[in-house]
Amino acid sequence: MISLLDIAERIQTGEKIEEKVWDMNLFKTISELVRKYHIEFPGERSFINMDEELVERAFEAAIDCLEKLGIYCITTRRHLKVTRKEILTAINEAPAEILMGEGRDRRVWKQRKIEGKEKLNVCPGHHTPYTEDLAPMVVKNFAQIPRTDFIEGFNFTQVDGREIIGTPMEVYASRRQMGWMREGIRKAGRPGLAVVYYPINTKAEDLICVMDPDYGLRRTDGILLSLLPDLKMEQDMLSAAIVYEEYGSFKLSGSFALAGGFCGGIEGAIVEGIAKPIAAMIAYRDYIHYTGVEHIHMLNARQILVPGINWARSVVNQALNRFSHTICMRWIIPTSGSGTELNLLEIAMQSIEAPINGMNLYAPRHCRTTTNHGQTPLEAEWMIEVSDAVIDQGIDKQSANELLIRLAERLKGEKPQEGYSITECYDLVHHKPNSDYERKYIDVKKHLREIGLNLS
Amino acid sequence: MDISKISQEQKEQMDALKDAIVTIDLEKARDVAEKIIEQNIDPRIVIKYPIAEAAEILGKKFDCGEIFLGNLVMAGDLIEEVVAVLEKHIPLDQLEKKKVIVIAAVQGDIHSVGKNLVSTMLRASGFGVCDIGVDVNSSVIIQKAREVKADMIALSSLLTTTMPYQKEVIDDLVSMGLRKNFKIIIGGGPVTRDYAEKIGADGYAKDAIEAVEEARRLLA
Repeated sequence: MISLLDIAERIQTGEKIEEKVWDMNLFKTISELVRKYHIEFPGERSFINMDEELVERAFEAAIDCLEKLGIYCITTRRHLKVTRKEILTAINEAPAEILMGEGRDRRVWKQRKIEGKEKLNVCPGHHTPYTEDLAPMVVKNFAQIPRTDFIEGFNFTQVDGREIIGTPMEVYASRRQMGWMREGIRKAGRPGLAVVYYPINTKAEDLICVMDPDYGLRRTDGILLSLLPDLKMEQDMLSAAIVYEEYGSFKLSGSFALAGGFCGGIEGAIVEGIAKPIAAMIAYRDYIHYTGVEHIHMLNARQILVPGINWARSVVNQALNRFSHTICMRWIIPTSGSGTELNLLEIAMQSIEAPINGMNLYAPRHCRTTTNHGQTPLEAEWMIEVSDAVIDQGIDKQSANELLIRLAERLKGEKPQEGYSITECYDLVHHKPNSDYERKYIDVKKHLREIGLNLS
Repeated sequence: MDISKISQEQKEQMDALKDAIVTIDLEKARDVAEKIIEQNIDPRIVIKYPIAEAAEILGKKFDCGEIFLGNLVMAGDLIEEVVAVLEKHIPLDQLEKKKVIVIAAVQGDIHSVGKNLVSTMLRASGFGVCDIGVDVNSSVIIQKAREVKADMIALSSLLTTTMPYQKEVIDDLVSMGLRKNFKIIIGGGPVTRDYAEKIGADGYAKDAIEAVEEARRLLA
């Protein structure tokens, strides 16, 4: 695979191009590829892709896209070109499983099969800001979920009572994040559990300062180094990638495409959604990705569902699982907040999709998360419960599609709800939802059973 | 400027311009704009009515998912070009000064998607937009706002650790005695209306659509 030093060199020597020009080139190129490869949404009753030939065409479109466009470095404003051979080599050489964690908490994260029969790997939380008074307790609650394979850190606005502003404070806060994570997993009785550092800022200092086998990031832990939307990379993230490649930690990327943005609609997002994890592998050596397609209106909580979004995710993940070793995760992002029925219904939809499309499970979190207001352990346990039921019941693509149609009908006409903070709807001391939230959970379970999912 | 005095033929030309903008047909828009000039239709009426209406329609199309960010950028370019053609025929003393907005993602924040959406929607809605990019420090933002005589500064922040830099811009304006010169609107993933009020911003927007509404409200 092309080396990270080659990447470092190319972002200094590649063609200079203004970002706006890049954006419009991406828009036009992807629009052309959608037409060329006949990528078309079959209709509103399609939630799971059934068209194998489309998956093949979509993958070809993505390779074509990367070959034509390459990657853009926003720091140097240069264009990093990659050849088809380099792209295909990256795809072939990427691993299909990653070892993480230590001792009894050592885990193997794997690429999944489409309609696979194995239970999924799980990251139950965070990627949500918390206040420091809640931090270790929150980590403990999520880490003690037995199926947790790794756990991710989080952002915050104050540390030791001081507002975090400026690099020295950010560096201190970054190390404290890791300290809380290590403390939380120990309290949960899982000292060897892999922790993924969530960068509180993307400067090199903030990314690298947490390396610390004793109190911070161990070699068996990971770091989130995401490629930006629109196939863009950044120099400090590359610096961190180079350091962590030597150190040994694994790397993750947020590799979903954003429909409505410069990639266009859901069809264009399919092309970027397949290209982006491959680009992230090349640029940063990211091997675990949250993949698929999101929509700007859903991430802004303007709409619960956008027609075709589930189908687009399905195409992306089927393509990545069939034609590459990409280890895909489903980042579950409900538009309604914790403590609401709508939140649990949305999570159910996305958790049904995951095993069918070959995706592991990642950190259910409200799309408009704010401090202490984005997720509870119940949502993580619920996503595991639903996806396990899908696997145990032997649900296939067709049956999953029917379930999703029924869930979409249930959600039709609903508007996203803000929901509640973690302490308003969840008891962190006793690790259980409050009675109101528990009642909603039971009602939603009942609904899922009524529409055909065998939940206990 | 009285739209009721427009003839049927002139109205048809204005509708044709509106259609050309909504379908983002640059050639057609240029042609129709020239015809409008030839027919001596008051360009101020054209800017105020069919162009503004077209921008509104485009905003709704974006909201419904019929068009996307790239289309909006093209539409924004088209609108600017057409307006520039029409403005040549408006006497300088009657030229309505476009409201200008400087927009940036604050210091330390490299996330641009939300900012790009807001920037493009504002532009397509008829505001003059000076997008100065990502990871921009307070002094650069203020300097640019002064240079272009901005009416508003829009600040984006996607990380909780960069939110304090939104406050820094406001604090710097206060200490420079410039606070009253600019309206300030903030937004971004972890940003809330409560936070906007707390730091003394004039407005907050959850997304690009709200940003246009808020800009219109604050700059009315």
